[in-house]
Amino acid sequence: MNTYQAVRDAMSIALMKDDTAVVFGEDVAFGGVFRCTMGLAEEFGRERVFNTPLTEQGIAGFGIGMALMGHTAIAEIQFSDYIFPAFDQIVNEAAKVRYRSGGSYNVGGLTIRTPTMSVGHGGLYHSQSPEAFFMGAAGLKVVIPRSPIQAKGLLLGAIRDPNPVIFLEPKILYRSAVEQVPIDDFSLPLGSAETLAPGNDCTLLTWGTPVYHCETALHLLASPPPSLEKHIPTSLRSASIELIDLRSILPWDVQTVEESVKRTGRLVIVHEAGMTAGAGAEISAEIQKRCFLKLNAPVSRVTGWDLPVGLQFEKFIIPDALRIVDALVKTLSY
Amino acid sequence: MIRSAPSSIVFRAGQVRRISSAAGKDHGRLPHSNSPIVSKLKFFNAVSGDGNTIPTYRVLDGVGKPLEGAELPEIDRALARKVYEHMQLLPTLDTVLYNVQRQGKISFYVSLHGEEATIIGSAAALELDDEVLGQYRETGVLLWRGYGLDNVMAQCFGNEEDTASKGKQMPVHLSSPKYHFHTISSPLATQIPQAAGVAYALRRIPSRRSRSIAACYFGEGAASEGDFHAGLLMASTIPSPALFIARNNGFAISTPSSEQFYGDGIASRGPGYGIHTIRVDGNDVLAVMSAVKEARKRCLEEGRAVLIEAMTYRVGHHSTSDDSFAYRARAEVEDWKKIDNPITRFRLFLESQGWWDAQAEEELKDRLKADVMKAFKRAESLPKPELKELFTDVYGGEEPWNLKEQRAELQGLLRKYGNEWEPWKAEIGRFRNKARDLID
Repeated sequence: MNTYQAVRDAMSIALMKDDTAVVFGEDVAFGGVFRCTMGLAEEFGRERVFNTPLTEQGIAGFGIGMALMGHTAIAEIQFSDYIFPAFDQIVNEAAKVRYRSGGSYNVGGLTIRTPTMSVGHGGLYHSQSPEAFFMGAAGLKVVIPRSPIQAKGLLLGAIRDPNPVIFLEPKILYRSAVEQVPIDDFSLPLGSAETLAPGNDCTLLTWGTPVYHCETALHLLASPPPSLEKHIPTSLRSASIELIDLRSILPWDVQTVEESVKRTGRLVIVHEAGMTAGAGAEISAEIQKRCFLKLNAPVSRVTGWDLPVGLQFEKFIIPDALRIVDALVKTLSY
Repeated sequence: MIRSAPSSIVFRAGQVRRISSAAGKDHGRLPHSNSPIVSKLKFFNAVSGDGNTIPTYRVLDGVGKPLEGAELPEIDRALARKVYEHMQLLPTLDTVLYNVQRQGKISFYVSLHGEEATIIGSAAALELDDEVLGQYRETGVLLWRGYGLDNVMAQCFGNEEDTASKGKQMPVHLSSPKYHFHTISSPLATQIPQAAGVAYALRRIPSRRSRSIAACYFGEGAASEGDFHAGLLMASTIPSPALFIARNNGFAISTPSSEQFYGDGIASRGPGYGIHTIRVDGNDVLAVMSAVKEARKRCLEEGRAVLIEAMTYRVGHHSTSDDSFAYRARAEVEDWKKIDNPITRFRLFLESQGWWDAQAEEELKDRLKADVMKAFKRAESLPKPELKELFTDVYGGEEPWNLKEQRAELQGLLRKYGNEWEPWKAEIGRFRNKARDLID
């Protein structure tokens, strides 16, 4: 399965096992602009899988209303760039309902899925990574998968979590990432990072699309092509780097990251969103506090620049493998 | 069970969007409209058909006499007295809580004065388990449903009996699943699209389909928010039995409605969304009851949204943080209270029916005042909730590490400074168990 098929599979299972579950958003009935809801309307009927008018604040508010009645509302925002009209509903309402009502109401049944991150030619409004804007919204959970298996397991985990969840799907992976996905019903835990490669010399922390740039960077570091050889000291090529996929941005798995950095003494954080007040800033501050005596180099952040994503400049804006290698070299040789 | 429900219930193809074959016979047709084609250039700016403003439905005149041709809603002596008593309860509650706020015993209060007929009339016409999503001037709906003064007071004081918010929200921000009253929040109009979702969920619950509606209240100022547009659009397009009740009381804090909109109030917007709409005299409790009853019926029969605009007047200040005489004349308010007082109007009607008299009035006022004072004194005497509640109900399920650690940090600070730092020392004593639950 590729990622969009895995997402579809998760929603199909959710709809099948939970009569109160509904899927809605702009253009979801014909299958969705990224095919994530293909065939669901035919399979489950238009009462359960339906189009909404083009209003993000309406979609979020409607989903909150259904969830207030204990139903499972799986809402889609067509691009995460367009989630901001729903910001008020998400941050002031969904995140705070349980708290403000002393637990008498909650919207745990709400999951908002939305495609995110760069796609090569998305320009300003089809490229954004808004996760950090939601990172301070106590009461919300924010999740980003990296692959089809992760997408299915984490989405089912998000749908069944007793809290409202923003589920950000890296859109470049919809078709490009393909793997064997179990067809049965399984959930992956929220709030837990996954160590993809063990290592002792440096921790490389990321999520979503840059997971793949990080993997490429590790290959470049270990065996640089002739053109890069002179930039990568031979002594660093055998460095053992621990690669961690954070998976959940809120709450994030501090334990896994802290344990890793205490062992490696170095941390490089990679994300596509801009640096200032990005999620990397939060993580960096917390790790600096917890691992102060163990750190052998400053925490490094490889991120998008503090810019909108200018269409023709994308290759120079997103943190690609080269920038990650460069940061690893600097951090390892600090 | 729900899955087998016919999908045609929701999207009845062609029900609204059917393109008339006659319309385009001579001049062609439009792809997504049954609009007749005309050759005369004519703009329009009215929805009432004849170009006039939308009329206001009224049953009783200013002295409580039925208008000629008006049909009274079904009402007997017992119901009429219950309605009147609840209408009188609101200003009694207002007077006490307004003064209590002025004495610094509660932090904030919004009065309900002037809108008694709209609130109580609509509450009386709804079923007790219709889901209510309010703005913050709808406490009367809860009182009508039997919520009780003690619970209202508990929330306003944020004491240990406050089950509506556990001391977390400002006064009058109530919640009660038992009485089907959804949690009030300060951000305006957010409840409007939520009501569409609540109503849609009601359609999907077999035991409530065709039986329950979502009733959503908001002021005319809130109707300027984007969420008003979103909510009415959602509830009309994704057919949902939501009843939208706009309380047009003439002011959004200091902004008169003339600066809020240029069109014919809120009612004129309903038809634009394909929503059955009526404007009603919000100071005429019988008119409100009739309109809400009929609107509710239509919601259920057609499974779609309905809009009511209740014309009223905000007699009180916007809130205790507002002095409304800074932007409107005191005389205007006094005049309005005299000329068109919803309570007086209904009392005159009751008297004309032989259902009420001066003695009953005096007894009622004494009783209500005593009830409110009793509830106030009780609420005032109770401590705040346990201090540890400040960290509860952020998440369902396992508590995240950051909250656990931050609670422990506050605990440490309280142990260290709790008896020394004056701003905390005095405050700790006001919580249940003197905050021992958190400190120990």
